[in-house]
Parts: sequence; C-alpha cells; structure tokens
Amino acid sequence: MNEIPLIFFLWVGAFLFATGLSIILIKRNVIFVLMGVELMLNAANLNLIAFSRGDDQNQGLMMGLFVLVIGVCEMSIALAIILQVYRRFKKIDIDQFQSRN
Amino acid sequence: MNSPLMIGFLALTFLTCGSAFFMLWTKNVLHAALAMFMTMLGLAGFYVLAFADVMAVSHLMIYVGGVLILILFGIMMTGQRTSKTGQTNELFTEQKGRFWAFFIGLTVFFGLSWLLGQQHFYAFSDIDQHSKLGRVGLSFMLEYSFPFELTGVFLLIALVGATYIAKNHE
Repeated sequence: MNEIPLIFFLWVGAFLFATGLSIILIKRNVIFVLMGVELMLNAANLNLIAFSRGDDQNQGLMMGLFVLVIGVCEMSIALAIILQVYRRFKKIDIDQFQSRN
Repeated sequence: MNSPLMIGFLALTFLTCGSAFFMLWTKNVLHAALAMFMTMLGLAGFYVLAFADVMAVSHLMIYVGGVLILILFGIMMTGQRTSKTGQTNELFTEQKGRFWAFFIGLTVFFGLSWLLGQQHFYAFSDIDQHSKLGRVGLSFMLEYSFPFELTGVFLLIALVGATYIAKNHE
C-alpha cells in the first residue's frame, strides 16, 4: 500500500527534461549538448518506466529497453562525428558552424 | 508518506535533480560528465523503485559502463586548446544566453508539471512488485521478437558505421 505515487516520477522526469533542454540551450560545447540530449532521453524513459508500473503486459518497460539501445547508437555515432569535426576544424564550438548566405 | 520507499525516493530525487542541476551550472565538461554519472546512478535507483529491475541493471551497465566511458574519451580527444579568456583551460565551456535558457527551462518544467497535474491517470492493473526478468525475456522472444532482431541489426550497423566514421580518412 505504500507505493510511490505516479506523479512524483513524472515530476522528476519533467525536471530532468527541463534541465536537459536548458543545457542544450546554454552550452557551447558539442559534447555538453550531447549530454543534455542524453538527459532528455532518460527523462522520457523514466516516464515510460513509471507508466509501465501499472501495466501487467510491461509495454512501457519493453519500449524503454528499446529506447536505451537507440540512445546508445545515437551516442556512439554522434561522438564519432564530433571526433571527425574536431579533426577537421580543431574546434567543437557550436557557434563555429555558420552558413554563408 | 513516511515509508522507507518514500524516504529512498526523496534521497534519489535529491541525488538526481541535484547532479542534473550541477550539470547545468558547471562550466567544466569533466565535472559535468561526473555529474551525469551521478544522475544515471539516481535514475537506476528510480527504476528499482518503479519495480523495473531489468531496466535498472541494463541502464547501469550501458550508461555507467559504456556511454560515460565514451564521453570521457570524447572529452579527452577533443581538448580545446584556447578559450576566449586567454587561459589554456581545455575543459572550459562557453555559455551564452543564460537568462533565456533558464527562463525556457523553468517554463517547460512548470508547464509540464501543471499539465501532468491536470490529468487523472489510472493503472491497468495492480502494481506488480516481483522481478520482471522472466517476463521481459519471454516478451523479447514472443511478441517483440521482430523489434528485438531489428534492434540487434540496427546496433550492429550503428557500431560499424561509427567505427567507419571515426576512422582517420586521409
């Protein structure tokens, strides 16, 4: 009878999502931005798991496991791309990428 | 409200939200990576409290063991030699537009909280407090077998592609 209410998980998820969004907006380092993206992804995942608690078929849990794998793929490819960008430009600031119009 | 579960939840909330906020606050990429490690530990604790043990263990293994090492390698290999202040601090990160970012973050947080507070969620069934390992394994082999295989192939392609991209093309 002493389970944690669902809304508490959702609040934590909302806080992590907002923090990740702020990190993406503030920071000028691409790796930092990537960490913010990870934070947002995990906030969404926490919501999936929290909703899956009251579901006897565990659909949210399965979805969360798939999201985990996709997040890892995204992370590895993004870091490889960052490495190449650093090799070419010797810099990984976001502001260095400007279109010439 | 005074159960051990609740106390653990509050402690994990302080750990997770505190280190997430420290990630936002700090300008040092390495400190942020360590704070992200603490955040991931707290999230694994949340998964345990939500009775999803499989998720907690795999999250710990993947994020603390894999992604964090990857990020540390990324930080090491992309050290920026010069910063605008002239001092050679390779971990320092520029920040821009602090006010708007804080404002947007606060708006998103309170907006989401308000929106979620308006809803009335109800559960399909009672909360099952047992381990879900067996059922997750069965589900992977039965109704989720196609997405499971697809995810495996996707992971393989992504890792081969990442290795190819990270190669020194000269």
